[in-house]
Formats: sequence, C-alpha cells, structure tokens
Amino acid sequence: MTLRDVVVVGGSIAALTAVETLRMEDFDGRITVLSDEELPPYTRVPLSKGVLAGRQAAEDVVLAPLADEVDLHLRTPATGLDLDARTVTTPAGPVHYDGLVIATGARARRIGTPEQSERVLRSWADGRALRDDLGTARSVLVVGGGFLGMEIASTAVELGKDVTVVDVAAPLDRLLGTVVAAHVRSVAERAGVRFVVAHGGVRLVGAPVPTGVETPDGHRLAADLVVSAVGDVPNVEWLVGSGVPLGGGVVVDERCRVSPHVVAAGDVAVMSTGDGALTRTPTWTNAVEQARFAARALLHGDDAPAYRPSRYSWTEQFGLDVKMVGPMDPQGEPAVLDGGLGGGPVLLAWPDGDSPLQVMAVDHSTPPARLKRMVRGPRPAAAPA
Amino acid sequence: MQVHADRDRCEGHGLCADVAPEVYELDDDAVVVLRHDQVPAELERKAEAGARVCPVAALRVLP
Repeated sequence: MTLRDVVVVGGSIAALTAVETLRMEDFDGRITVLSDEELPPYTRVPLSKGVLAGRQAAEDVVLAPLADEVDLHLRTPATGLDLDARTVTTPAGPVHYDGLVIATGARARRIGTPEQSERVLRSWADGRALRDDLGTARSVLVVGGGFLGMEIASTAVELGKDVTVVDVAAPLDRLLGTVVAAHVRSVAERAGVRFVVAHGGVRLVGAPVPTGVETPDGHRLAADLVVSAVGDVPNVEWLVGSGVPLGGGVVVDERCRVSPHVVAAGDVAVMSTGDGALTRTPTWTNAVEQARFAARALLHGDDAPAYRPSRYSWTEQFGLDVKMVGPMDPQGEPAVLDGGLGGGPVLLAWPDGDSPLQVMAVDHSTPPARLKRMVRGPRPAAAPA
Repeated sequence: MQVHADRDRCEGHGLCADVAPEVYELDDDAVVVLRHDQVPAELERKAEAGARVCPVAALRVLP
C-alpha cells in the first residue's frame, strides 16, 4: 500500500528524526506531528547543564525547525488510538493516518505522593522552574545518582550550592562500572558533593514542597531544594486497550514495527536485545538511530534493514567528559589503552583491548566514530520472543 | 546557505559528521569543523539534517 498520510505522535528528537528520514526517503505525502509540548522540538541534553545554570534560554535548546511541508501541532497530546479505523484521538478531534510513528517518549518517574509537588527534570518547563528554585536555594538534595542526578548535582555545585546525592547504591556504579564510577565520585567529592547510600530507597518528606527525605532506618536528610532524578516512565497510557503490545513500553520487532502500518522509536520503544530480554534504551543516540530505522520500515516494510544500534552514550559532569560505546554497566577491571586511571585523559576497554565489548573515553579526544569502530559489532536485534 | 557552529558548546559527539560527513568533521580535539564557508546547494539538506541531530544544539543553519 502506498502511504499518503503519516502521523507522528511525539515532539522530540525521535519524532523529528522520523520526519526527516521520511522526507529524505522521498516520502511526499502529508506528515502531521502531534506534540504535547509547548515548544517546538528541542534537546533535553542541556536542561541539566546550561539551562539549569541559567546560561541557555529556550532559543538555545530548540532544534533546527521542521520544513514547511510538515503540519506540526503543539500542545496536542494523543489520548487514544484506534488501530482498525486508523485514527489517533486528540482533544481537538480524531486524526486519520495510514502510517503511524509512535514517539511519545517518557516522563520523569516520581516517588512522592500526589499531595507533594515533587521537583523533577525532564521538560523545558521543568528546567526553567528548577533553575528558578535553584536561584534561591542554598542546599540541594538530589535523589538518584544516575547520569541526570549527577549532572544536576554538578551544576548545583558549580553554582555554589551545598549538594548531597542520595541513592540506593553507589552512584554511577551500574552505568559506568565500578572503576570509572569511583573516579567520578571522587572528583565530585573534591568539588564538595556528599554521597549518601540508602539501601531500600528513601521517602520524600514535606508537603506540598518536599523538604527532605527519610531513609528506611529513620534517618532524615533535609535541604532547601529536593530534586528527584529517579528514572523515567514510558508514555504509553494513551495506547492501553488499543491492541498495541505493551511491556514496559511499546514492544517492537527488529525493524521497530508494531504492525505493518505502525512503528515506534525512542524512549517509548522496547526491543529484544537478542538474549530474550526486552529493553528500553532512553538515550539521545538511540532515539535518533531508532527513528531512522522505524521510518524506513514504515516505508519499505521487510525490505528495510533491521535495527543496528551504535550504543553510543555520554555524560558531562564535574568537568569530566565521559563517552562510551557498548552496553551500560561494564564489569570488572578495564584494560587501559591510553593514559592512566589516576586522572587526566584515559581510554578504557572491557574486558580487554583486543576485542572489546565496551570502550570508554574519559576526557580523551578519541572521536566517537573511532570508539564505535573499536567495539565488536552489536548483534542484530532479534524479534521479540 | 551557511552553518554557524558554536565550538564552545560542541561536545564532540560527532552525530553531525555521521549524518553529513561532506559538511561536518571533528578536529584533533574532537570539536566540530565546517568543511565549507558556504554550503553547496546539493548538500543543504544534509547540512540541515546534521544540525538537527546535535544533542547540544551547537549548530545553526543560517538562510
């Protein structure tokens, strides 16, 4: 069937890349983008850094605009989907498609009660609000020591705040491996960050604005500003009951398809990693790459290539620049390919330098393209079991 | 068409060069460098595509 009407639901980089790819592949039908955001597509990457520090405004995060021949609807959330009638439901009425791209992304996970106005950082609006809160706070408590939490802590320290990070395990261990994580934490501690490990998690205390957390053993930590950075939740509620397979996100095949006419990409998509496990990969790189494959699958079906992720990711914090290729959580001691672990630029590989599964460049100028070539080619994604 | 590259903001992820190696490259410090002062007409779409995937919005396409 020849597609005439493609609807893209979502307004971030996966949606934008899907649109771009459709046009690059000479799709000349109508494209409608439904976004619940107030801004046109922007990058979230600077929210925890330049935006939080007050150095970057909205015009500094908005991405190059879509071409004129795309119908972009802002503040227009999708609220339902009818696969048989091929319509997306919105508050403004149903929108017909004959090809659909699901790119609704994820939202911040919350641990507070409905009575608490928990501070999170996911959207431009969150970033702007947190920037203002940070301006008047002297002490900051970050709940969650993943990339986002640590980047928020880094910016807060840079602004002269008294910063504590609390997590259920040593921050960054499960993302960067224990060796590099320990190095980053030591740099953070020298910058003034305090780390608290609370096995079993914490409870937010104070309402409506949280003023601290309580650990399972009754210990309390307080701060002027409490920020939760405890992961994300895929935006799939609008698809419940639609027939789209859901399992921790929208489950797609090796070509990012839900069905011949429906594809999904980015933070909302769940794919088999080849070992039977279904995985969501909420990174910028994955959103870009998956959206390209998804758009091609929508146009070309089985003739489109199966998804091959580059698995490139990064974090910038405490003056350190970490770039990595391969699955998160490298195990054990890395091989040191260049530099040294004591400080300064270093290039690392796991489990060895001859045939690495993971490579990581810390303050090291090896271009990402070379890092990607160093890693064994990822196995092609397998169809969901 | 011209592209403005904010080299201070560039973090060297190289997604632009992956998309449009004819327009963008990384220098020895892994910072973006433009290959043309004036983007040739046949590369304009690729230049735009490369700018759009920059995660730190360091690339601006100027008309």
